[in-house]
Amino acid sequence: MFQIFKKKENAKIVIASPVKGTAVGLDKVNDPTFSECMLGKGVAIIPKEGKIYAPADGEIGLMFDTLHAVSMTTKEGVELLIHVGLDTVKLKGEGFTGHVATGDEVKKGDLLLTVDLEAVKAAGYETITPVVVCNTDDYEAVEASNLSEVEQGDEVISITIK
Amino acid sequence: MKSFTYVIKDELGIHARPAGMLVKEAKNFQSTITIDNGLKKADASKLMAVMSMGVKCGQTVTVTVEGEDEEAALNGIQSFFENNL
Repeated sequence: MFQIFKKKENAKIVIASPVKGTAVGLDKVNDPTFSECMLGKGVAIIPKEGKIYAPADGEIGLMFDTLHAVSMTTKEGVELLIHVGLDTVKLKGEGFTGHVATGDEVKKGDLLLTVDLEAVKAAGYETITPVVVCNTDDYEAVEASNLSEVEQGDEVISITIK
Repeated sequence: MKSFTYVIKDELGIHARPAGMLVKEAKNFQSTITIDNGLKKADASKLMAVMSMGVKCGQTVTVTVEGEDEEAALNGIQSFFENNL
């Protein structure tokens, strides 16, 4: 009879890390576009490998021509942006190789793009890779759930449905 | 309903950061703001939709504004484009 006092647990969606590295809060990103969550809440990964994998099942919304970022909508409707490095749009694709195209269906763990991390660093850019939920406002909460060393595929973002 | 056209001058087009800034600006207004580059259309308050248009330098975009504050919205968005894109 006390069950009516129990708070109903809202359903959660988990987003995985797209890359092996160190997960840190977006507040650690040296770019206000991300640190002020202008593009949404999420997490940032300091990559240890230049291989970026799909963090969930879904459809590629846009593989940027410059290959430095990719957006996708997961099968649950989460709109994700994976942005490899800061200001790397200026590299115009140099050091990046795309493995999927806009509109492609992907499974969690599919290789999306590869990046020559050393080349990006040598060109003077940071390689920290924000992963943000562009439709953060559609959810009750979007939280970085695992700020530690991560492998690609490990949970890094927990989303609570409204 | 009001509208204007603008030719994108920023050589990088509407990539992640300007898309975020544009959406932030669009959300200041009640009016529905639509961007159209002749290939795709997007609601300017929807980040993923704006970003996925992949608007490039040299493209002409038509911005349409409809709603109670359309005068203010038109001016706000037009100066955003002129100052940032």
